[in-house]
Amino acid sequence: MGFGRYVTARVLWAGVVSLVITTITFLLLSAAPNPDVQQAATQAALQGGNPAEATERVRELRGLDQPLYVRYFDFIRGVYTLDWGWSESRSQPVLEAVGSALYYTAQYSIPWTILTIILGPLVGVYSAANMYSWKDHAATGFAFFGYAIPNFFFGIILLLVFGVWLQFIPVTYNTDVAVFSVENAVQLTIPVFVLVTGSIGAVMRVSRNESAEFQNADFMKTAKAKGVSPLRAYAYHVMRPTLVPLSTTLVGQLLALFLGSSLLVEVVFAIPGLGRLTYKALIAQDTNLVLGTTLFFTFVAVVGNLLEDIVFTVLDPRISYDDR
Amino acid sequence: MTSDDQPLLEVEDLTTTFSTDDGTLTAVDGIDFDVETGETVCIVGESGSGKTVATESITKIIKTPPGHIEGTVRYKGRDLLSLPESELRQIRGNEIAHIFQNPQEAMNHCYTVGWQITEALQIHRDVSDEEARAKAVDLMDRVGIANASSRFDDYPHEFSGGQKQRVMIAMALVGDPDLLIADEPTTALDVTVQAQILRLLDDLQDEFDMGVLFVTHDLGVVAEIADRIVVMYAGKVMERGDVLDIFDRPAHPYTQQLLECLPEFGGTGGGIPGTLPDPHDPPDGCRFAPRCEYAEEACRTGEQPEEVEVAPDQQVSCVHYGPGGNPSIVRSEGHGPGDGATGGDSEVGPADD
Repeated sequence: MGFGRYVTARVLWAGVVSLVITTITFLLLSAAPNPDVQQAATQAALQGGNPAEATERVRELRGLDQPLYVRYFDFIRGVYTLDWGWSESRSQPVLEAVGSALYYTAQYSIPWTILTIILGPLVGVYSAANMYSWKDHAATGFAFFGYAIPNFFFGIILLLVFGVWLQFIPVTYNTDVAVFSVENAVQLTIPVFVLVTGSIGAVMRVSRNESAEFQNADFMKTAKAKGVSPLRAYAYHVMRPTLVPLSTTLVGQLLALFLGSSLLVEVVFAIPGLGRLTYKALIAQDTNLVLGTTLFFTFVAVVGNLLEDIVFTVLDPRISYDDR
Repeated sequence: MTSDDQPLLEVEDLTTTFSTDDGTLTAVDGIDFDVETGETVCIVGESGSGKTVATESITKIIKTPPGHIEGTVRYKGRDLLSLPESELRQIRGNEIAHIFQNPQEAMNHCYTVGWQITEALQIHRDVSDEEARAKAVDLMDRVGIANASSRFDDYPHEFSGGQKQRVMIAMALVGDPDLLIADEPTTALDVTVQAQILRLLDDLQDEFDMGVLFVTHDLGVVAEIADRIVVMYAGKVMERGDVLDIFDRPAHPYTQQLLECLPEFGGTGGGIPGTLPDPHDPPDGCRFAPRCEYAEEACRTGEQPEEVEVAPDQQVSCVHYGPGGNPSIVRSEGHGPGDGATGGDSEVGPADD
């Protein structure tokens, strides 16, 4: 069956892409000066030792005296066997640090993504159905507002209003509450809201414009002539073809926001998630941890694009996957 | 079949207007016609004469607003235009079915043809998926799709244009309609396929005992399938009646000139000079007067002339047949399209002495 082969090829290709990215990361890293080596040299000089000897010792200890290809295979093996090294700044394995940060990131990212995927197309199609009415203009205004305002700035404003003035939510995120508790839901409302306003705008606009085309299509007239109710016509005959172009926008939009804005929002709301972890690792010059979070985001992006490709072919029956 | 004498469909004073930025556009302006069970009525006229809007007003497929439909449309005695939308929906696709001009666009590309055929059945009747599938496959087979049961799960893009129109016909027939409205169903198809589709529709009409309202601008098609015709021009009915009477003795100058355009009726194929009037601001009097060679002062004032019966079951809306008019101005002795060669020297109609 063509579809099974197509998916297999896409998955293999995603593997190749991730290998290329890991290789580039490795090359950049090996070309950059290693902070550990420099630190050892400085330490030795301060204590009256021989910096060159100390450098040599550290290089030997960390295996940096090995030829490039040996180090490369070691590195690749480490990446794919999930042995991502030790984080100096957090005194724990990198994978463990990423895992515990992901726990907090997931708590707001999952609701935010689900809300965007459900609300975006619904509001967009509703907007198209009521095109140029006040409902459409209100939805469009909201979409442009959310799209235009920087997420971190919007977050700060909302935090000021609801956290400082009205005191509805804690100003800094409280990690002590249970995941599925009212307190947690309350304190995550604002970050989720900020991210939804940021992501829903583009999704709404694309769904509105695509469905505007489909709601005037001849097949809508056919549907009406068959006796299909307007609600059913929108649900089946407009929504379904709209999802095809939307699927390409949706994944890209969510990934861009996940990789970019999440970091800023986490810093603003003091959520100890992946964004804050990356930020702190950068400040602390914790190379292994920076590498770990970078690789994690890379894999998310690769998997996201893989899903997008597969969803696109599943949604549009006219796309043939036989030759690709 | 209707039990009593009333026609299957009676259209009276049907008027459809659209609000546009440039004011009100009158697409259909007070037309009358009937369709009986088992007969084929053709609406003919140039592009833009309001044929499609008229047929789509019958079950209110037209978007309202911007559209606005007035008049009376009686289907088996029920006034469709005064029915609430929910009851109209029960009639659409179930009792009155449509086939459209462009089968490429008329199907949703995201669903299999089987899904789209059974959709029409399942929203009206409480049938299981298996029953719906069996009926759809049966119909697909009947309309001439080979290997119907395996093609049920194919998508529209896997069918040719002619096959798509066959699928559309199956989709229309799935609810066993009593009236089939076919809006230029063969225009987008090539000539050989056109003939096959026309023959198919003809066979199916007998089989299903339907009334067929057929819109076309192709008088060649009319000659093949029509029992009666309605000639429309600029939203008005110019002439209507039995197809043989009208082809043989066209009364209205517009009908005469339309037939003149047909080479197979001895016409020149030259066309009628002039263009359709602006639907925002139609001319006074007869709509065709500005393009009519017989137009007189009386033709250019007042309203479109009242319909006059010039022969049994042949009505014409022309000043020259009305009270005080002289039909011989328009209708020369023995005039018919058969001797249309007289128009060969100019683009205007038959010469008159």
